[in-house]
Amino acid sequence: MGFGEGLRQFLGPDTLASVVVEGLAKSAIYVMIASGLTLIFGLMGVLNFAHGSLTMIGAYLAGLVMVTLVGSATGAWTRLALFFVALVAVFAALALLGGVMEVGLIRQLYDRPPIYQILLTFGLTLVLEEIVRIVVLFYGLQPISEWRAALGTRPAMLSAEHSLGPLSVRGLALFEIALGAATVVGIWAFLTRTRYGLYIRAGSEDAEMAEALGIDVRRVFTVVFALGAGVAGAAGALLMWDPVWGANVPLAAETLLPAFVVVIIGGLGTFRGTVAGAVVVGMADATTTWWFQNVAVTWTWLPEITVFLILVGMLIVKPQGLFGVEEVGGH
Amino acid sequence: MVAVLYFALFAMSFDFISGYTGYLSFGHAAFYGTGAYAVILIANGKVPLLPAGTPFMVSLLVAAVLAGLLAVAIGLVSFRLSGVYFAMITLGFAQVLYVFVRGWDYVASNPRDGPAVGSTHPEGFEIGIPFVDQLNLAIGTFSGDTVTLLGHELGTYTVSFYMVGLVALVSYFAMQRIVHSPFGRVMIAIRENEERARAIGYDTFRYKLGAFVISGFFGGVAGALYAGFARSVTPESTFYFLTTGDALLASIIGGFGTLAGPLYGHLFDHSIREFLSNTGQGGGLLPFLRETLPEGVLSAELLGGLTVEGFIGAALNGHAALYVGIVFVLFVLYVPSGLVGTLRSYLGGPVAERLPAKLWGER
Repeated sequence: MGFGEGLRQFLGPDTLASVVVEGLAKSAIYVMIASGLTLIFGLMGVLNFAHGSLTMIGAYLAGLVMVTLVGSATGAWTRLALFFVALVAVFAALALLGGVMEVGLIRQLYDRPPIYQILLTFGLTLVLEEIVRIVVLFYGLQPISEWRAALGTRPAMLSAEHSLGPLSVRGLALFEIALGAATVVGIWAFLTRTRYGLYIRAGSEDAEMAEALGIDVRRVFTVVFALGAGVAGAAGALLMWDPVWGANVPLAAETLLPAFVVVIIGGLGTFRGTVAGAVVVGMADATTTWWFQNVAVTWTWLPEITVFLILVGMLIVKPQGLFGVEEVGGH
Repeated sequence: MVAVLYFALFAMSFDFISGYTGYLSFGHAAFYGTGAYAVILIANGKVPLLPAGTPFMVSLLVAAVLAGLLAVAIGLVSFRLSGVYFAMITLGFAQVLYVFVRGWDYVASNPRDGPAVGSTHPEGFEIGIPFVDQLNLAIGTFSGDTVTLLGHELGTYTVSFYMVGLVALVSYFAMQRIVHSPFGRVMIAIRENEERARAIGYDTFRYKLGAFVISGFFGGVAGALYAGFARSVTPESTFYFLTTGDALLASIIGGFGTLAGPLYGHLFDHSIREFLSNTGQGGGLLPFLRETLPEGVLSAELLGGLTVEGFIGAALNGHAALYVGIVFVLFVLYVPSGLVGTLRSYLGGPVAERLPAKLWGER
């Protein structure tokens, strides 16, 4: 297909609508990957390089739960329910891990320059990734077939195409959009409707003042880190079911970089910005993927490079991001 | 061990900008990659105006200048930002290049695997002064020169080691000179307090950009040496962001903001990897444990069918990254100034100056 014809087809209502749905599904994935990162940065000013590893561990854990329970699952609804069991279990496990990481390691570094927190979490990714690699090798999990089996636990109604009026939409895309939206609403409600959310907002506004008013900021830090890690794990659970991602060790780096791009485009540390950034990146990804698949574009790297070009462009034009304020958290 | 030399040079160039001005250049792999790719493309005759027979030192310089020019371009944009944002924009640029190079079929028939030196340049690359044959020695994994010196036969690997080391040493002294010049003082001033440096009247932007370009130049030299020795490069080993991560590891373990530190840091890192690898040339820990531990201990069961032998096999075999990572985390937590930095503060001055006095008393 030539360029002109491609453009005409792309702007046709059917194609445009399906690209938008795909884009929203990708946005949902990106928002789940990135929102934990933004929570942690927003309050603590720690850019968590270990975030991708947490997502990767989440994907493996969710896969493990699904594989072990799949024998007892027959109907599509049971499997869907089991997925949510896995989701909750992974969230809890990763939140615990995140809490331990914060209390045991990162807490010691708050009075050092912020560069050391980046370095520490960078070291943590190396350790976490290698531990997972050892475990996976040791139990002989990595002939990927085992994880293909986890993928296979996805109920048929998610794999099938559903017709939505004139549109035909992948069931998985709808599921991802629903889960992403639920995550956004959940975090938003937590931040604005609960007492702890109030503490978090107070702590990120002025930690010293919050401390003076009797809020235990240290404990808030721990809770936020645990929450961020939990959300990262939940994102992993979702990725485990998506055939594009799956559960594997390189997933850590593959999710970390887009997560950085999303939070920077939106503005570091603002949750609203992260949602907006995820939509921008998701739409760009879906659009370029469509062009690459349907029009004679020989650039196989188009979708991948676009994401980083958006990052660079954003940093040149508006370094603080879409919704960011200059120099969040003093960095 | 040749890898220690060229990679340490890269780690030094990373430390030169990140350790001395405090701007974390997270996309430093871009310069390493540019240097490496430029050398191989020139050797394959794929760069206009530079035929396949271009002397290595010329192509090394061209590669380094290209990396320097790239640093000008990236720096002009990036130094409007600071802190985390600077780290991210440099990372962004490097990733754009990485993805681009990985998909650009001009550099190699299979760009994902990266290019190798082709048949247009079968012999090793000669390090020395171009067109003066007496001073040239070739480097390369198997294609370098052998030299007979005072009755000793030096193999291709040994010759390569010394010749790569020579270039790395010259580059080290050049950077060392800059760090100790007034220019270097301004770099440190920027790291300590940029606002104050600006208030005294220094145009900090120009100093930062200058330092970045110098750093990029030597990063390019390191990449060119790597390509010259290895004769084939991959996008993963040059442009990928974890390559910068390795330089970061070397800098932190050796000492952030001490130019020589990354050399020792990388040596340390490399030694751990070698020691823990299954086939370590120096014997390695795993074969040692397999041979020395008695049979009863090896076959003892820990839990659930896991024997001691199985455990050490699983925990040690090629998983050096785990231990390097743990060492790195411990260094960040407890030895923030690194090997050289700690030694320096213990001795109360540069190691080379103070160590003799410490050992043999003041004279």
